[in-house]
Amino acid sequence: MSDHLLNDLSLFAPETAITLTLVAAILADLIFRRTPLVVAALVLAGFVVTGLLLLGQTGVNASIFTGMIAVDSFAVFFKTIVVLAGILVVVFSMESGELNSPGRKLGEYYALLCAAALGMMLMAGASNLLMMYIAIELSSLSSYLLSGYTREAPDSSEASLKYLIYGAVSSGLMLYGISLMYGLSGSLDLRAINRALPQVLSGGGAASFTLLIAGVLALAGFGYKISAVPFHFWTPDVYEGAPITITAFLSVASKAGGFAMMIRFFKVTFIDAGAVALPAGTWATLQGFHWVDLVAILAVLSMTIGNLVAVWQNNLKRLLAYSSIAHAGYMLTGVVVLSNQGLAAIMVYFGVYLFMNLGAFYCVMLIADKTGSEDIDEYKGIGGRSPFLAVALAVFLVSLTGLPPTAGFIGKLYLFAALINSGWTWLAIVAALNSVIALYYYVRVFRNMFLRTEEPSSPGITLSWLQNAALVVLLVPTLLLGLYFTPLVQLAQASVRLFGTP
Amino acid sequence: MEIPLSYYLCLSVVLFVVGVAGVLTRRNAIVVFMCIELMLNSVNLTLIAFSSFLGSITGQALVFFAMAVAAAEAAVGLAIVIAIYRNKRTVDIDKINILKW
Amino acid sequence: MQLFDVVFYVFALITILSGCVVVFSKNIIYAAFSLLFTFFGVAALYVLLHADFLAVTQILIYVGGILVLLLFGVMLTNNVISVEMKTGTIQAIPALIIVAIVAGTLAGLSYSTWKGVAVPAPGGPQTTTGTLGQMLMTSYVIPFEIASVVLLVALIGAAMTARRHRNS
Repeated sequence: MSDHLLNDLSLFAPETAITLTLVAAILADLIFRRTPLVVAALVLAGFVVTGLLLLGQTGVNASIFTGMIAVDSFAVFFKTIVVLAGILVVVFSMESGELNSPGRKLGEYYALLCAAALGMMLMAGASNLLMMYIAIELSSLSSYLLSGYTREAPDSSEASLKYLIYGAVSSGLMLYGISLMYGLSGSLDLRAINRALPQVLSGGGAASFTLLIAGVLALAGFGYKISAVPFHFWTPDVYEGAPITITAFLSVASKAGGFAMMIRFFKVTFIDAGAVALPAGTWATLQGFHWVDLVAILAVLSMTIGNLVAVWQNNLKRLLAYSSIAHAGYMLTGVVVLSNQGLAAIMVYFGVYLFMNLGAFYCVMLIADKTGSEDIDEYKGIGGRSPFLAVALAVFLVSLTGLPPTAGFIGKLYLFAALINSGWTWLAIVAALNSVIALYYYVRVFRNMFLRTEEPSSPGITLSWLQNAALVVLLVPTLLLGLYFTPLVQLAQASVRLFGTP
Repeated sequence: MEIPLSYYLCLSVVLFVVGVAGVLTRRNAIVVFMCIELMLNSVNLTLIAFSSFLGSITGQALVFFAMAVAAAEAAVGLAIVIAIYRNKRTVDIDKINILKW
Repeated sequence: MQLFDVVFYVFALITILSGCVVVFSKNIIYAAFSLLFTFFGVAALYVLLHADFLAVTQILIYVGGILVLLLFGVMLTNNVISVEMKTGTIQAIPALIIVAIVAGTLAGLSYSTWKGVAVPAPGGPQTTTGTLGQMLMTSYVIPFEIASVVLLVALIGAAMTARRHRNS
């Protein structure tokens, strides 16, 4: 028993490391009141250690703490995304003028960032409905507090309140779905539910319809985390109101956790283990449970509404919020495919989305720190004033659109290939059309940056070496992964294995 | 004669839906919190009814955690409300809705 | 009809009526006090479902913690805080229609899926406290520890958010 526990604890090391970082950040904040950089450095080190511990978990496939958490290559991939986003966001936060205004304490900020990352890492691994609920709530609570961190800015607290109310309602809906599933199957463990479901479904119409409702209610919780339509209402406000570093973190890490949890939930629970005569790498859902069509509809809605509304936005932060809703839609199409190819495509997409999206937000932050505005009209002539920054932003936006030779193209290519391979051609066409709309609103930004003349009095933007270095760190993968993508694709294909699925 | 399980379930559906109605129609943030607590209470009731019916205690464990989380959520929610109240009183009371849809 | 049934119907009625008062009352103080009755009614139903430990926890956490917190919130902000959370599109009537449809579907499904099965009536004196405590320390130890992180986050975050900003 105790050997068992020790073994489980050693597989839980990354999460333990980030928890210790959280506690250390609080203590360091009390000791080093005057030098906020100490806490930042400590948290950065904590994230790096967590990342190194995660690297040691490649190839592990185990279930720890009596089935609460699965440690498999799928979870490790998404945890790595969360930790990388954490590292980059800590670096951004050290540079952010918005956060480092005089008189503001940042100890709690870094501690809450660790807590949010812990919640998202647990989301990636949770394989029990109770664990999923606790993980989603840990990440949500920390996110509410972080998005209201600059509380003297009125829109920040208000964004935080909206975020909390939508979050509480959707987690209430999700909990209701969980309770129905528990009532039907008698268990909270995903694999046990999967084993119990065939018998439940054989019972007849009412039970299978109840199961569908339970799935839809659970989807409300996941949809909220990944900000898919129609659970997206909080996204634009929170992304606009929150400190921009937090917006960047939420747009990548929170989505990664939500996607990992959603995929695990659907794949482990509703897969038909007894299905015969399927090509390798594809799965069948249980008879009578058609959640795939539902997810397809959500994907189409998210892409279309996200992109169409983005066209009318004048605030670049808000525009990126709608664009992130659209990206959630693109990634959802990978779930619809029901095959390992689709999963690998989602993971490739996340690998490139991490760099291009964080990069775009970083550029917006640097420009906003200098000009004090996120308005697209204020971007006039930035290409002349600060060529490197403008070109970097342009590259990130081109990549978000999905044009070659950037990494975003590879992400979309793999998704579309997975869709077409499995006969979802219409969905691929919808997604491609949506990319065209996306091009339209990104071009507005390019036009303002490079083709509009600047006002004579506007100052140039000079960057520190650290800011330049951070931009290069984000730019290199965005460009390199567009040309030399084999390692990422191989990593994703090796990481599709979930614990407890064939 | 015993009370059927479905009576408990229907009771909690009613409570849940009353809570949802409140969330949709009420505008005061604190009343919305109260309605969210109603929803959570009804979910807890469903879970305990199932737990009792199935003779398994896992449902009760989930309720225990749901209560802890609800308390944390209420504390954070109230703190945010107070922060907003301070801003509105000191900053600008006319601009109550800065962020639009 | 036995005493047990009567007790169920009485508490069910208290729960639903007071819940409706919470939602539809114009006076926020009435709503808060009515919530007290809902919490007590639900706690009584937990007892009928042999969840004695959770019934006590319900009263401690919801009445002793959450409700007091909400009342403090009401008193500290007293009606000044009427943040417009919603667009004008969701009006009361359509909202109620949607809600009624949802209620009908859920209740109908619950009824037909679990038709005719009864919750076993409480036998002799028995308690779930021991079993639950043992579970929390064995198979549910990780969620238990994570819950402590959740509470720590809430503690730090609430103190940080509600405290006066030093510069202003």
